[in-house]
Amino acid sequence: MSAGLVVATIAFGLFTGIGSGLLGVGGGVFMVPFLVLAAGLGQHQAQATSLAVVVPTAIVATVVLHRAGVTDTRRALGMGAIGAAGAVAGVLLALALPASTLRVIFAVFLGVVGLRLVYDAVRMGPSAPDRHA
Amino acid sequence: MSAVRTAAPIDVADASGRVGPPTRRLIVIGVAGGVLSGLLGVGGGVLMVPALVLWAKLDQRTAHATSLAAIVPIGIAGIVTYGAAGQIALPETLVLLAGSMVGARLGAGALTRIDERLLKGLFGLFLVAVAISMAVG
Repeated sequence: MSAGLVVATIAFGLFTGIGSGLLGVGGGVFMVPFLVLAAGLGQHQAQATSLAVVVPTAIVATVVLHRAGVTDTRRALGMGAIGAAGAVAGVLLALALPASTLRVIFAVFLGVVGLRLVYDAVRMGPSAPDRHA
Repeated sequence: MSAVRTAAPIDVADASGRVGPPTRRLIVIGVAGGVLSGLLGVGGGVLMVPALVLWAKLDQRTAHATSLAAIVPIGIAGIVTYGAAGQIALPETLVLLAGSMVGARLGAGALTRIDERLLKGLFGLFLVAVAISMAVG
């Protein structure tokens, strides 16, 4: 990676961390487009790399929330363990698709997420104290 | 969320006698989140959190924490599968991790000082613009 890209990527990581914390929308949603459009990765690579960043972040957050007793962590992990089968299927499907097709699917997904955020914003009343806290 | 009237949580005792959201619904949500995660390289929370709130009747905070915990095994499965196909770019991973760890801490601090509504609206529009970029590029 060039020095410029490293700096841009760190800055982007900051942006992602802040954004996902504030919006409740995960980092992967931001990271995949960044990796494809700015870092020049292929669609599959960008997606794989995004997951490699999301998981450690999720582990840290889960430990914190578990200590705070927010949810039945074991049950949630169990839910994820079963969901993991779906993940394998999802990856295999992605790998079977050409990058251009996968990119369009991702773009549609991203558009839906974006529109939902705009819709939420429009429906929200005057800014309330953050309810995620 | 005030405009949405949520029913009382569905309390069902499972085989161990524990009462909570119906297991079947958690499984469906987990698998759906897993497929989305594997297919698009995202955490899956963007689908799981609303589903946990609206269908499994969890409160927002519990749903968020549940989703995050579920993302761990889901994401690991994705990493292993993509990794086996040689798709993970390690330098980019490490650099992004460094940035996002710091960013997450900053985000928590910035929470109280930013107009959430404006932020959501702007981010939403930004994502739509990026989506168009990706689709057209």
